Amino acid sequence: MITLANPYGLWALIGIPVVIAIHFLQRKSIVLPVSTLFLLEKTQRESASGRRFDRLMNSVPLWMQLLAILILAWILAEPRYQKPRSTQRVAVVLDSSASMAVAKERMLGILAQKLPPLKGPAAALELTVFESTPGRPRLFAGDSVEKLVESLKTWTPRDGLVDPAQVIRLARSLVSREGIVVYVTDTPNGSLPFDARQLALGEAIGNVGFTGVSFSREGDTLTWRALVRNYGTEPATRSWHLESPSGRSGEKSITLEPGGLASLQAAFPTGTDKARVVLSADRFTTDDVLPLVRPAAKPLALYAATSEAFADLTKKLLRSIESIQPVNDAASSDLALISYDPLDPALPQGNAVVFVHDGTQGGAYLKGGIVAEKDPLIDGLNWQSLLVRETISLERGQRDKVILWQEQRPLIFIRDVPATATTPAARQLCFNFDLKRSNAASQPGFIVMLHRFAESIREAKVAPAADNLETNEPIRLATRSGTTEKPASPLETLSSDIGGKTLRDAKLELPLVDPLTAPLDPGFFAIKQGDETLLSASVHFGDTREADFNACGSADDLDQGAGNAVERHTMEDPWWRLAVLALVVMLLVSWRYTASSSKGQVPSSNKEPLTSNL
Amino acid sequence: MKRDELQHSHSRALAAAGRLRLPLRSKVWRGQAGDFNGSGTGSSLDFQDHRSYVPGDDPRHLNWQAYARTGHYTMKLFREEVRPVVDLVFDASESMFFDPAKAARSAELFYFIIESVRGSGASVSVHVVRGDASLRIDPDSIHTHRWLEMARAMPASDTAGAPDLSRIQFRANAVRVLVSDLLFPGDPEPLLRHLGQRHGSILIFSPFLESEAKPAWTGNYEFVDAERQSRHQHRIEPNVLERYLTAYARHFTLWKQSAQRHQAAFARIPVETDLATALFNGAVTAGALEPSH
Repeated sequence: MITLANPYGLWALIGIPVVIAIHFLQRKSIVLPVSTLFLLEKTQRESASGRRFDRLMNSVPLWMQLLAILILAWILAEPRYQKPRSTQRVAVVLDSSASMAVAKERMLGILAQKLPPLKGPAAALELTVFESTPGRPRLFAGDSVEKLVESLKTWTPRDGLVDPAQVIRLARSLVSREGIVVYVTDTPNGSLPFDARQLALGEAIGNVGFTGVSFSREGDTLTWRALVRNYGTEPATRSWHLESPSGRSGEKSITLEPGGLASLQAAFPTGTDKARVVLSADRFTTDDVLPLVRPAAKPLALYAATSEAFADLTKKLLRSIESIQPVNDAASSDLALISYDPLDPALPQGNAVVFVHDGTQGGAYLKGGIVAEKDPLIDGLNWQSLLVRETISLERGQRDKVILWQEQRPLIFIRDVPATATTPAARQLCFNFDLKRSNAASQPGFIVMLHRFAESIREAKVAPAADNLETNEPIRLATRSGTTEKPASPLETLSSDIGGKTLRDAKLELPLVDPLTAPLDPGFFAIKQGDETLLSASVHFGDTREADFNACGSADDLDQGAGNAVERHTMEDPWWRLAVLALVVMLLVSWRYTASSSKGQVPSSNKEPLTSNL
Repeated sequence: MKRDELQHSHSRALAAAGRLRLPLRSKVWRGQAGDFNGSGTGSSLDFQDHRSYVPGDDPRHLNWQAYARTGHYTMKLFREEVRPVVDLVFDASESMFFDPAKAARSAELFYFIIESVRGSGASVSVHVVRGDASLRIDPDSIHTHRWLEMARAMPASDTAGAPDLSRIQFRANAVRVLVSDLLFPGDPEPLLRHLGQRHGSILIFSPFLESEAKPAWTGNYEFVDAERQSRHQHRIEPNVLERYLTAYARHFTLWKQSAQRHQAAFARIPVETDLATALFNGAVTAGALEPSH
């Protein structure tokens, strides 16, 4: 196969009509009076007038010049011949963000059209397709564009906004420096790393969809509240309805201005834990459905064995922490509020918040700078206004982690109690000062930290919960641990529709290899361990960056760098020197004939007919 | 051509006529009394023959010496002296005058024939033909150089064809001199037969250009036919030129062969050299002219 490294060299062919035009002009007849025309016409029938093209073609210089132009164009176009067994590697990185779902069908057609030319002068094409989300297996590997397109028909982009750089780097390493990396997206990017080429196929379409949901409870009534946004640049009108296993509400219409938000709210249907809010469909359907489950946090049992002095604190905690219930039995509690009495220094083994109880009048206020260690419980909290009096101290173990200091005195530390044969592992938040002899109760950081600690305890508790999640949202799930004799049961994920019909299920062995995340498709799902349902959840699409198509557009950089591929897969014309020689020869022959013709021409100036003088 | 040019041509022809003349003395003439030997008996001093006296003979020519010897009346016969007759036919077609040099040479030949005839004391009748038209030119028009204007004014339907001599009254036993470039298609035989009628002797003077005989054509030309003024596109390649040269040579070979058959002197007079040289090279060798001394 012949490839032209410099196709612009073919512009030299313009010289052909130019030469023909020049020859037509040069071949303008010489007007000459003759007396022997009858002799000429008798012997030269074929030279009669009316066949100018034939006469033109008989010119040797013309043929030589035309051939010279053809050879010149051939030389300038730099023909190159294909190297045997040359392979062009192409890695295609597909933007796996959800917005690509709109452009997917169009993408398949364009890929079928754009990929074959990337083979260029190479003898073979090697194709590999990746998703832009890191860690995913490749979608296709082979040499057939048709099979590639066929394999992508089942591919569904569902992720959020993803930085493709990592996968592009992987693709570049796969195809090496000579290969071609194509990033297929719907949003043009100014520049791509690792010399990747861009193929943007998006279009700025209007879209209306759910952006999120929240719940509020008034008495026994649970109310959901969903936000709907018009991402487009034109006003949009949509209808919506609520579906539940027991039925469906009537259609209601909403009109949104460009960029406008609307709030939809209603009471959660009674008698069911599942519902679904549905918007009338547009081109991007992923955010047109909002599945809902009745939210239910894991219950937290609080045992307050503190003195009356901590009654207010207990009330505050019971009021502010969700699904927390007071219990009177420390053994059955999930969290205990305990005072440390130096006269009775034994502390409980379970999860607890421990305060120092100092019956004395107390000493002076502690002096010195307050320094917080880095810990999730205390991050971002301000303790500089904390005033603490000198009191008795808790006995601090070596493994206790101090998270707040004042000079050399640990004010707050965390004690992790390892599990024993009879007791599970526990965590205790120890305040090494008397709460009543400090202003800690009025410190926002104190309350926030208690909340964080309570939530960490709740998170670690193995208990059923129900929640409304976004697609691909990380899930922190406490599972039952097994023993050597009785291993833990594997997790089972069940995707279902609103009626409870199982659509998909999968088993996950413990310990989990990958972090647990919510499914990529909106809907309902549950996670079970054995017979116990640990999580019932709904999943909705809530990535507003993907739902906004205003930045989408088209771009095509596939043609860049074709010259390198030509040089890599082809070799130069071995006969180019011969072509140059032929060019010179033809020019010399043309010049020779032209010179001899000019020499032999009879000037016509003195051949004017004489009849005018007679 | 203008009259002054014709006058110059006449001067050059007059000079040439002093060195060359028509071969009138090689022919036996019959006709009016003159300076040339006639075919019959006459009153010249040249003895020719004897014969017996018959009544009615001029007694002045009795050979008395023979009567004294033989007793019979014997007549002395003397050669007749007659005046030669020349009919000049001049081709005034466009091809004779389209080139200045050829026009001048044609006029020179015209005047040369006339002056040569006059120098010989012969009688000349001048006819100008142009296609199918012909005109007898009176001596005064020749003297005043108006003959060419008269010839050009002749209405002719087709000047490109062979000249039509059928309307010319040729005199018997005349020398018929044809001045023509002979550049017209057709068989020369009818024309020569016409010239040779009534015991005519034919002399042909054909002026030609070197550019007609050996043209250096190459490339595209728009040829203007000298006769019809029509334009014709031609591309001349070497092979085309070769065929032209062959056709040209064949054309005049045919004229030469026909002239031989009619015992006509055929002289091709080149244009490029001076008149005397051209006539000496072209006409003397062909027998159409002879030196005066």
